[in-house]
Amino acid sequence: MPLLRDIKGSFQPFWVTLRNMFRKPVTVQYPEQRPELPERYRARLILTRDPDGAERCVACYLCSAACPVDCISLQAAEAEDGRRYAAWFRLNFARCIFCGLCTEACPTLAIQVTADFELAGRDPLKLVYEKEDLLVDHCGRQPDYNFYRQTGIGVTAPRGGNPGESPPVDVKDLLP
Amino acid sequence: MPTLTIDNQQVTVHDGATVFEAAEQLGIVIPHFCYHKALGAVGACRMCAVTVHAGIFKGLQMACLLKVEEGMVVTTGDPRSVEFRARVAEWQMLNHPHDCPVCDEGGECQLQEMTIAGGHGRRRYRGEKRTYNNQQLGPFIAQEMNRCIQCYRCVRTYRDYCGGRDFGVMGSRNRVFFGRFQAGPLESDFSGNIVDVCPTGVLTDKTYRFKSRHWDLQEAASVCPHCSLGCATLPGGRYRELQRVRSGINEQVNGCFICDRGRFGSSYVNHPDRPRQARLAEQPVTVVDALQQLAGQARELIETHGPEAVLLLGSSRATLETNWLLQRWAAELGCRPPLLAAHTPRHQAARVAAFDLADRLASLAEVRQADLLVLFAVDPLAEAPLLAVALRQAVRNGGRVLVYDPRPVELPCEFEHQSLTVLQIRNLLAEETVESTLLRELLDRAARPVLIGGGDLLGAGGLRHLQRLATKASSALRPCLVHPVLGGPNSFGSALLSPPEPGEDDLLTRLESGRVKMLVCLETDPLLEAPDGERFADTLTRLDELVVFDYLPTPLSVHATLFIPSTAPVEAAGSFINNEGRLQLFGRVIEPGLPIAVTGGGDHPPREFFTVTPGSDPQPAWQLLQQLLGGRADLQAVRQRMQVALPCLAGFAELQPGGPGLRAAAAVAPGRFEESLPEQPLGSLQLLVTPARYGSDLFSRYADKLAPRFSAAGIILNPQDAAERGLNAGERVILDTDAGSYRLPLTCHAGLAAGCALVENSAAFPHLVPGGELGFCQVSAEVAHD
Repeated sequence: MPLLRDIKGSFQPFWVTLRNMFRKPVTVQYPEQRPELPERYRARLILTRDPDGAERCVACYLCSAACPVDCISLQAAEAEDGRRYAAWFRLNFARCIFCGLCTEACPTLAIQVTADFELAGRDPLKLVYEKEDLLVDHCGRQPDYNFYRQTGIGVTAPRGGNPGESPPVDVKDLLP
Repeated sequence: MPTLTIDNQQVTVHDGATVFEAAEQLGIVIPHFCYHKALGAVGACRMCAVTVHAGIFKGLQMACLLKVEEGMVVTTGDPRSVEFRARVAEWQMLNHPHDCPVCDEGGECQLQEMTIAGGHGRRRYRGEKRTYNNQQLGPFIAQEMNRCIQCYRCVRTYRDYCGGRDFGVMGSRNRVFFGRFQAGPLESDFSGNIVDVCPTGVLTDKTYRFKSRHWDLQEAASVCPHCSLGCATLPGGRYRELQRVRSGINEQVNGCFICDRGRFGSSYVNHPDRPRQARLAEQPVTVVDALQQLAGQARELIETHGPEAVLLLGSSRATLETNWLLQRWAAELGCRPPLLAAHTPRHQAARVAAFDLADRLASLAEVRQADLLVLFAVDPLAEAPLLAVALRQAVRNGGRVLVYDPRPVELPCEFEHQSLTVLQIRNLLAEETVESTLLRELLDRAARPVLIGGGDLLGAGGLRHLQRLATKASSALRPCLVHPVLGGPNSFGSALLSPPEPGEDDLLTRLESGRVKMLVCLETDPLLEAPDGERFADTLTRLDELVVFDYLPTPLSVHATLFIPSTAPVEAAGSFINNEGRLQLFGRVIEPGLPIAVTGGGDHPPREFFTVTPGSDPQPAWQLLQQLLGGRADLQAVRQRMQVALPCLAGFAELQPGGPGLRAAAAVAPGRFEESLPEQPLGSLQLLVTPARYGSDLFSRYADKLAPRFSAAGIILNPQDAAERGLNAGERVILDTDAGSYRLPLTCHAGLAAGCALVENSAAFPHLVPGGELGFCQVSAEVAHD
């Protein structure tokens, strides 16, 4: 019966409005009131440092390969001690979709997400972050991890001096 | 022809094939490390295990070693083989460091792929990881021995295949080490190949260190431009910079390997002084304006001064399409047909190869299979490095190599060297000596003889003698093939486009006649690339207009009144014809432009954005010529037209880059020019100009990565000749030639034929160019000045 249904349909919205009229509002009065975000909220990306204070990023290009929108570009270089680092690292937040795939790909835990979402602006160029804008002075979430101590490359320790390694072999030794 | 079943698929293979090859034929990839197509199988890594269900040896077997038998049944994916391979991958990883993020091999690493394919993910072994100290292996190769999985591929490539001596394996048990006895630069001219064959990141390209990942590189099948052999290469570029070159595969030419000159000599593309802006009388102009200016002036000069007024000059560096379009433009302008090479003697030698030798050209694959190889005036390591590796394969297959050359030739294989002067070699070829008879007997007995002739020292006359010798040594049963070594990457192509015509004069005679008002040099610099550079320089003052199209910072491009930038071979598609008449296409790798490393000054790219790429003015030379001719710039259409105009290029339009290429040899034309050998003046020495191994061709001269291998200028004499003239090694001596006199430090070498003086053309000594007419010189002590 269409008539009955129409009458019912006219009253139901009023009932919904009435029901919610006396509830506590959920609107957050941003920016006067700061929102409480979950710990693992994915917003602005940072480049962290290892416990020794050196840059964690080894410019392995895995983040740029994982990025579905191609917003990361970088160039690797070699320091005098053999450390691989990013000569430049550019992240275009105007393009970033904050999916966090780069942080999952990062083998050195260098690139990490923060909960800082306040990136809006009028100039898109200001959203193109360079390495100095991304690099922070702390270890981020995993404060103890140092990639070079685990890898078997003589950068933080002499060759064969990392945990789980034996000293370099004497290749001219013929003893059994 | 046994038939076997692999994974329920039947396949018939040739006798003696292995299960691995049979699987490859079916498209089944069996994981492997130590097997390599060019190196064969050793069965050391145990990765290619398969299960044999029916056959003489049942059970787990190594596919790379197991010969196929009739009725064999093999599975590659059964639980037993998969489990075995997973365990092998696990033990390969026992000592392998977890440094993939900082390893250049990451992303193109066979060990990564096989580990993941094998399903190994967690290291169960709790013992310590073995480490090594690395060696410094020179400017090209970086070593990180901790990553080694002992597959022996590097040693098999370096020592067995390429004939190097200073890299090997040492140590015992699990301390096996691959390197030199003492740290130091690798001496072989083929050292870069160990980077390609290493299945993991032990040996990596130092010049490409940390530059890019494989997945970010722009790559395309290409042809090496450094010599006339035309080896297949795979150059890779990123951020508008050509970053590395690795070996392509062409079974007919280079096989799987290339030389260091081709591999590390690619940075000419990004030379800091490379001219990228069109210039008219020192003022920058747009390319469109420059072309309009050129077309207008050329027409005007021809109208006022006749068809001689404009001289077009093609080159052996320019592609086949470019040279052909240059001919079309000349026809449209109404001037004389263009010269397609500035270096006349080399061009004439190339013509003998293209026309006289057309029916008996040997490919490098045929050189590798020959049983008797006779080299006349060729120094492979200097003129065509990969020929030396091909010779080594022939020797490994039981062949014999005879070398007749005045120079102290070195080869990575056993060979018999007869130190003869150029005149003596020509007499030998003309069958006037006792040695000729012996040689004929040897050739008659050989089953697959190949004669190899150096176009530079033999010249057109010598190559024609070589052709006669080959004709006589051929029989109804088997031909005697010839492998000529030519000057540039497209020498053969330039020669093929310009058939011999009577009464032809060369570049210098035309210029010196004074009738030429405008010279258009297309990707060539006769100052550096042709003999008599001084004479050429003198004629430049008589020209009204000097127009240069080039991509290298040559001296001529600085002198040009009108300069138009063109693209390097990797920046545009094109084609070259190699020394044995093989037409090969190459694709575009990167687009022209200033690398980001330059525009950003090493830091991040500039933060201003433009719609035009900086430094992207260069256009392919064929495209520039097509604009001059009018009509649509379509390379495929140009190839269609060429194929119609030149019957010997049939199939050109269907060719793809990266294939084996196709033989484009013209019908045999009777030889025209007979030359008389000059008389040697009394007390003089025969002047030999040889290309330096690195830095003689302009590509490697402008490649800064090769700079550590550049040689110093010097003159070499036989100790006997030096003693006769009272000269001591180490002194500076005066070399008097027709082209001028030079002060050079003297070295004595007993391997050099008596009566010869040898100088190397290189960046340090560019004055004398190899491949000129046979010349004579005087060498005397420096007169002390008070």
